[in-house]
Amino acid sequence: MRTGVFFLQTEDNRSLNIDSIAKYSANLPDVETVQILRVKPLPSVKFLTDQIKKYNLERIVIAGDIPGYYKPVFTRAMAITEGNTDEIRLASFQEHGARGENAMDRAKAIVACATMGVPFPLAAVPGGNPVNHATLIIGGGIAGIQSALEIANAGKQVFLVEQTGTIGGHMAMFDKTFPTLDCAACILTPKMVSVGQHEMIRLLTKAKVISVSGKPGSYRVKIRQSPRFVDVKACVACNLCSEVCPVKVKSEFDAGISLRKAVYIPFPQAVPNAYLVDEKSCTYILSDGKKCGVCVKKCPKECINLNEPEHIIDIEVGNIILATGYELLDVSKIEQYGYGVFPNVLTSLEFERLTNASGTTGGHIVTKTKRFNKKSEKDEWVFSPEGIPPASVAIIHCVGSRNKKYNPYCSRVCCMYSLKFAHLIKEKVPNVTVYEFYIDMRAFGKGYEEFAERIKQEGTFVVRGHSASVAMNNGQMVVKGEDIFNDRLVEFKVDMVILAVGLIPTPGTEELSRMLGIQRDTDGWFSELDYNGSPTDTDKGGIYVAGMCQAPKDIPDTVAQASAVAAGVLGSFTSKKGIGHMSSLTLSEIEAKAKTIHTI
Amino acid sequence: MSTRVNPTFIDDLDRFGAEDVQLCYQCGDCSTVCPHADEVYKFPRKSMRFLQMGLDRKLETTLEPWLCYYCGQCSEQCPREADPGETMMSLRRWLISRYDFTGLAGKFFKSRATEVLAIIIVALITGSFMLFYGLSRGSFHIYDGEGAFLPSGFIHKFDLTVGGILALFLIMNAIHMWYLVMIKGSPFPVSPWLYIKQLYQLPWHFFTQKRYADCEKKRGHALYMPWLLHLGLMLGYVTMLILVMVFIERLQAGPEIRWEVHIFGYLASIGLIAGTIYFIRGRFRKHYIQYKKSHGTDWVFVVLLFIIVLTGIAQHIFHRTGLLELANITYIIHLMSVVPWLLRMPFSKWSHLIYRPLAMYFAAIRRDAITQRETILSVNPVLIK
Repeated sequence: MRTGVFFLQTEDNRSLNIDSIAKYSANLPDVETVQILRVKPLPSVKFLTDQIKKYNLERIVIAGDIPGYYKPVFTRAMAITEGNTDEIRLASFQEHGARGENAMDRAKAIVACATMGVPFPLAAVPGGNPVNHATLIIGGGIAGIQSALEIANAGKQVFLVEQTGTIGGHMAMFDKTFPTLDCAACILTPKMVSVGQHEMIRLLTKAKVISVSGKPGSYRVKIRQSPRFVDVKACVACNLCSEVCPVKVKSEFDAGISLRKAVYIPFPQAVPNAYLVDEKSCTYILSDGKKCGVCVKKCPKECINLNEPEHIIDIEVGNIILATGYELLDVSKIEQYGYGVFPNVLTSLEFERLTNASGTTGGHIVTKTKRFNKKSEKDEWVFSPEGIPPASVAIIHCVGSRNKKYNPYCSRVCCMYSLKFAHLIKEKVPNVTVYEFYIDMRAFGKGYEEFAERIKQEGTFVVRGHSASVAMNNGQMVVKGEDIFNDRLVEFKVDMVILAVGLIPTPGTEELSRMLGIQRDTDGWFSELDYNGSPTDTDKGGIYVAGMCQAPKDIPDTVAQASAVAAGVLGSFTSKKGIGHMSSLTLSEIEAKAKTIHTI
Repeated sequence: MSTRVNPTFIDDLDRFGAEDVQLCYQCGDCSTVCPHADEVYKFPRKSMRFLQMGLDRKLETTLEPWLCYYCGQCSEQCPREADPGETMMSLRRWLISRYDFTGLAGKFFKSRATEVLAIIIVALITGSFMLFYGLSRGSFHIYDGEGAFLPSGFIHKFDLTVGGILALFLIMNAIHMWYLVMIKGSPFPVSPWLYIKQLYQLPWHFFTQKRYADCEKKRGHALYMPWLLHLGLMLGYVTMLILVMVFIERLQAGPEIRWEVHIFGYLASIGLIAGTIYFIRGRFRKHYIQYKKSHGTDWVFVVLLFIIVLTGIAQHIFHRTGLLELANITYIIHLMSVVPWLLRMPFSKWSHLIYRPLAMYFAAIRRDAITQRETILSVNPVLIK
């Protein structure tokens, strides 16, 4: 079929070299003419009819970012010359994703398919190849747990890799979920227990992925499991070892507001429910076995082995799910809020642990009390259950979020959890005054707006205006701000300030993205393949993202995405398609495949 | 009451230097950190909002831009990098053009070429006039006394003429400012007693610039340096202006110059030199946020002042060392830069010399008026129905 290729491309897309694509398409079979036309003014119908007559064209390919925009002119010209208007084919670079690294090959393939009259998506879908039915999930937070359970419940093997000593992630630290004020642990812990007991899930705690090789459908993964020093199967969590341990360090699970021993269990509901030894603080390990070691003698089950080596585990999996989550921005670098300088300025996670009934104060919301530390011979501020409840609390939204100096993006959950904090404080502390300083209230989800209204009804002072300064005035914290709706500058004396700190990707994100060969966006989160169409896939086949590691999102969205990922993984076992994504096929492969489709 | 909205206002102000106003998302951080924002005058956020809404008629009656001394803390703090400090600066430029009834100020601010051209034309006219006058009446080889190239009596008259024109423009603009701020901008009549009561504000702010010092105090600069230099520059300038306007005949009387005049002259020169060098250096090094962006008129301002000071000093040195021809040449160059400078003053940034103290004065009056009215209202509540 005599074909003419017409390029109509604006100069916006600089990753494409139109001349080079045009030269390539001139060598394609049946192509009679290749012309690069000007977008402005549009080619006239007369010019096009002349061209069709001159070359006796039967098929026309319009190539460019938005070829459909120019189609009507060509249709008229084709109709005038009594040609078949169905033979006007569009080669859309934008639609079929000719951008990024191999944009040129992609664009050539798009044009080639169009000249052969083959729909590009049909030719570019890689053929099925056998998929290993085991799945690796990196990250044991709520996203990882949800995906693991969905896949394991379908009867497929799951390896769940978690860097810390327990699964549960950040959700285990929370007291309540917004907007329903459900108990977070009541939702999470049954799922954690299921993961721990599931026969199809192999849980690897204190483990890290160190290398990934292979191709979609069969990845070979090397995992380094750091020693736990406690036999998980034998440990009965009797706490005797922890009682005798002389070392005290800040508890990660309590966001640093309480102390734990060097041999510890992160929290009572931890899965696996066994103690572990922190090699970074244990005296025995730090002194190479010369000092201490009392826990070993004390343990009635004799399950502590402080000389346990690390293990390297090799596994083969078909799919990998990334659920590495987030962490808080280091708020001490935003100096004006006085975090780390004033004792009662807390981050959101610290407050979350303070208000949690399993926290260090038993859920009592109190200000810090001064205590003399015998070891360092300094006064320090600590939370204790006997502390004085605050008379007034200020909650400051958007700390480091939506700020060009720190995180330009919205962290999405802060507005809602800040409102939740206001409710919890009002509920637990009588006659307390709560101020919320916000810029824009982002109550976007189901029931969120109603929740925000409810908090206002409860008597929280919701101030439209962001506070930029926390100062100490005669031992009293003063929060300054502008109340924009009431048109006044305000200064509130408060006993506690809670900072709704912005979220950032975990530090391992960069290393992981390099190891797996997937992209990250400008803010450091993993990039999804298409935000609307395939929000769980990455640009590499067989690797998926779930939860916060893609972008900040709340628990319902995280769970939904985690389930969606599980559906994708399970689907790959049966269809054997979509394992390698379109970008994994080369130009010659697409060309060859297009020819077979054409001949059928 | 209807409110007029100017939808292109934000674009117009771009020419005055405020480029990023549309980025502002109204968080109020800037007002929180501002050392001068208070219950009555809340800025910069509110000014930014008026600007975004295109309320130019409202903004021209506000005093907030004049209350800002551009310490730059708001711009450092701004999460959107919308640069509220620079916006307030641009609003001051815009207000100067608004107070100016001739419309020249607006033209100068918007186009650097127009400004430079106007300066060159005035300079050339002045230069040729002086040359013509000097050559026709005196000798090129005599600097002062009998048969001088440019006799001080003539210069004195010339100065007074230029000064008179300058004062006329300034007074007219100040009256325009008063009308906009106190008549158009005030929702209720202000008692004349307040004008007398707050009159001390004018000299107080003019000679101390106390509010500028407050800015620097919060920043923790050693000796509040920019304030000190700014004050030195201003005092030097005013002293020199008085010396030139009133005592020029004594400055140029002959080889003997009275010591009072001498001392004042030297002090003023030191103030001017130190000030201009500091501000030129600042604009080159951009080490403070307020020097990050320099509007074209800022450069003309400092450079012209620097030339005036240099030629003034050079002329003095040449005169004292007996190089009378050189002294006469530098004198002409000096006058060529002084006259455009003085004539430009009502249309340029330099007019803030007058507007700032006036603004403080009006601000104090307005604040008192608001308190008074609030007291009246609280005693006698207004009965609506």
